[in-house]
Amino acid sequence: MGPLYKLGWFDFTYSLQLAALIGFFFGFVLERAGFGNPRKLTAIFYLRDFAVLKVMFTAIVVCILGLLYFSIFGWIDLSRVHILPTYIWPQIVGGLLCGVGFLIGGYCPTTSVVATASGKLDGVIFILGMVFGSLIFALVFPLIQGFYSSGHMGAVRLPDILKINSGIIAFLVCLMAVGAFWMAEKTEEKFGDKETLPVGSAKIKRTGATLLILLGLILAVINPDRPVFSKSSVPVISTEEAEQVEPSVPKAGAPSPNQFKIVDDEGC
Amino acid sequence: MNERYSNPYLIGVVLGLILLFSFYTMGRGVGSSASFSRMAAAGVKLVAPDHAKANIYFAKYMRGGRSPLMAWLVFLTLGATLGGLFSAFIANRIKGEVARGPSIGVSVRLWLALAGGVLSGFAARLARGCTSGQALTGASELAFGSWIFMLCIFAGAYATAYFFRKEWL
Repeated sequence: MGPLYKLGWFDFTYSLQLAALIGFFFGFVLERAGFGNPRKLTAIFYLRDFAVLKVMFTAIVVCILGLLYFSIFGWIDLSRVHILPTYIWPQIVGGLLCGVGFLIGGYCPTTSVVATASGKLDGVIFILGMVFGSLIFALVFPLIQGFYSSGHMGAVRLPDILKINSGIIAFLVCLMAVGAFWMAEKTEEKFGDKETLPVGSAKIKRTGATLLILLGLILAVINPDRPVFSKSSVPVISTEEAEQVEPSVPKAGAPSPNQFKIVDDEGC
Repeated sequence: MNERYSNPYLIGVVLGLILLFSFYTMGRGVGSSASFSRMAAAGVKLVAPDHAKANIYFAKYMRGGRSPLMAWLVFLTLGATLGGLFSAFIANRIKGEVARGPSIGVSVRLWLALAGGVLSGFAARLARGCTSGQALTGASELAFGSWIFMLCIFAGAYATAYFFRKEWL
């Protein structure tokens, strides 16, 4: 039962090694996709290459389905997953500025790391800019503190806002993704450069789209929010939970379950 | 000489599984922008330790007497650097250059990269995350604010694209 770290399976030191491992694969796939190249990244904003949308949206849909199915199978306790809190105003302004920074600078934070690794000087400069931007933020923080915590809504999720269960939301996201991919393909056919765009078989794309919609539909029908599936979200005292925690014998030695407070770093 | 980039849908599926693995093991998603904020904090701490401790925002990185760099996301970013390096190496794509469109000079591009970096660094702190830590992670857990954030990134970039077309096209 996951999340392993929050149930005390390993300690802080090991979590850092795991971070490096996850980061390695993260950086690896981003470079594979061509995300170390700012012309490839910004091409989406000139309707020439929608790789950014395809990668992001596919990853999001796979992860949404994965989390909900894991929760149904009892493999992960979603109540222990850190849900990012909503602070709507700073998120809107921050999002707009991030978008402008992305277009002007050519990267988002993680892709600039990958660009730097593949030898791009502009990637290095972008990173220096980010360090400097963070420093400015920290210096002016007392002045903008009010705005920074404005629009706080807690850890709300789309199911809470739209008042429908997360299975239906997942299904809608699947439909939206397939629709967005279809539009992206059509637009690329019109404006894209066929020489450089990666090729793919139409048959596999159709099968993938059908599979996505089917998996989403199953979730919408069985409703993963039903209490049957969230038995284990009861506090640690419950007997079922105690069983799950048992494998973590080193609990007595290292106070790992409580240690995760140190890394309660926000989002990114 | 450059190998063609991989199919974005395939990359998306693998990235989604990596994200899922992160949730399963750590109960949290990926991210990177906080690493740069922590670097700034570490830099200030090195030059002026009292100033770093007095700053309300940086103070949260100094908790527990640890270095601001002893953090999960910093190690993830280090890993991403190595992963990117490895991928670029096996595809024969490591090349010292300034990436830009054909109609823009090197120095203008570097100034714009700096400006974009400063904006992104500031904006990511304001929004409590970037494209990875807020958009990718938050959207996967269906967090409301993260979806709004993601739409705003695209809105901001599309709104600016016309004015900077010479930089890329």
